[in-house]
Amino acid sequence: MTIPQSIHTGTLTTTGNVLLKVDNIALGYGEGAAEKRIVDALSFDVGLGEFISIVGPSGVGKTTLLRGLSGLLKPKVGQVVVGGHVVSGPHPDIAVVFQDYSRSLMPWMSTRENVAFPLQGRGAGKAERNKEAEAALEAVGLGGQGDKYPWEMSGGMQQRVAIARALAYNAKVLLMDEPFASVDAQTRFDLEDLVIDLREKLGVTIILVTHDVDEAIYLADKVIVIAEKPATVVDVIETGFGTHRDQVATKADPRFQDARARILTRLRHND
Amino acid sequence: MTLEMQAPTPTAVKAGRVGSKVNWGLTLQRVLALIIILALWQVAVVVGLLPSITPGVIEVFGAIGAALTMPTFWAALGQTLTAATTGWLISCVVGVTLGLLIGTIRPLDRSTSVVVEFGRAFPTIALMPVVMLMLGATMTMEVTMVVLASVWPVLVQAILGSRRLDPAIVDTVQIFRIPRALWFRRVLLPSAMPFIATGIRISASISILAAVGVEVLTQVPGLGRLITLAQEAQRWDMAFAYLFFAGLFGWGIATLLAWGEKSLLAWNRQSDD
Repeated sequence: MTIPQSIHTGTLTTTGNVLLKVDNIALGYGEGAAEKRIVDALSFDVGLGEFISIVGPSGVGKTTLLRGLSGLLKPKVGQVVVGGHVVSGPHPDIAVVFQDYSRSLMPWMSTRENVAFPLQGRGAGKAERNKEAEAALEAVGLGGQGDKYPWEMSGGMQQRVAIARALAYNAKVLLMDEPFASVDAQTRFDLEDLVIDLREKLGVTIILVTHDVDEAIYLADKVIVIAEKPATVVDVIETGFGTHRDQVATKADPRFQDARARILTRLRHND
Repeated sequence: MTLEMQAPTPTAVKAGRVGSKVNWGLTLQRVLALIIILALWQVAVVVGLLPSITPGVIEVFGAIGAALTMPTFWAALGQTLTAATTGWLISCVVGVTLGLLIGTIRPLDRSTSVVVEFGRAFPTIALMPVVMLMLGATMTMEVTMVVLASVWPVLVQAILGSRRLDPAIVDTVQIFRIPRALWFRRVLLPSAMPFIATGIRISASISILAAVGVEVLTQVPGLGRLITLAQEAQRWDMAFAYLFFAGLFGWGIATLLAWGEKSLLAWNRQSDD
């Protein structure tokens, strides 16, 4: 069975305005001969306002890729460019929602302080910080809960706080690393719809890394499939659902089913 | 005294929280234990098990009452507490700052680990003659000795505490480009605080011990000096009364700090679950 090889050189992105360009990057740990290369020759473009999912099997190097995109890990080869600037370290245009919300939120800070903290780092005054934080909490459905501490909240609520913190930072690109991996199924659906909703309202560009094929297709405009060792792009699928999705209708859509079959086959093919 | 170099386990703190209502059964048990110990002491004195100069329980209680009415006692107590508190506060500031720096700067950590282990195990009181020579029998000497004795628990605990910063928090702080000074104050310090609090508590007890010890061994005025004077005057009951006050204040401060720790570090109970 042959699978049509999609073009992932980037010049053909549907949205003309490229915000983030991943240009032939290689990522690894260690130096020289001892280097363990995790990601190699990986390229893709993200248009302004686009929602991209990066899907791949567990252990393929998704978290490494995310560290590379966010500037936490410097590429061995190639570069990541955001808004015309090469990413050489954590960048003000890139915010991250980490997988481990319970550990990435600071338990000694109230929810509001957690959300406002990156703004404090930027030198914003207290009144401004609190106003922005409250607005971000409102956007994720936690209005008026700023005085609570993270440990007084459920897992789903904590992840909303982490999303609010990334929103308040007001970056152009939101990177999400398996953000819904450790919540129950219903909470997961709620959070997925929250992200779709936020994207529609705020026009933020999102790159979501996940191992869940259904989630990848449901959320994204474009699914980038990574596989092999070292990891590279093996397929790119445009979902074409527009900005509005529905947990039942979208997942029953033939395009959803087709994309799903194509990705699963592709991933099995690469085992 | 045992120097237990770790933060209290969440379960232990939780168990303590249950006792927010006064637990009369426990209080009764504690009072009973105290009465039994005092009774054994009295019996040992009466039977002649202890040296004849040892005062009985009643004499000591009488002396405690007498001390409370003596202006010299209050003055001495004030001097001891001033020296102990000053030394302790210096230890806290120096220990926390140095400890957090050492714990987070890898080369510094490696190069100072031997010094820290050495200092921690060093019998500080043996340094006193040297410090005396340099500073004389003064308040400054006493405070210096208190600092030398009490800085170690804070330092060691701050180093340990700063090492336990969660990698997820480290990533978060990097991603949101938190400036170094803000990171130190709002992330590193609170994260290490459960460990530091234990060090601060231990260090408070040590600073009282060190202050009294220095006063006993030198001519520096304070509670320890009163103890020596009472011994020289063969007033053993008074000596014991002063000892009792030294212990009482050590205990009082430790209790106060444990209480403060519990209410200030409420987040720590849950975060480790």
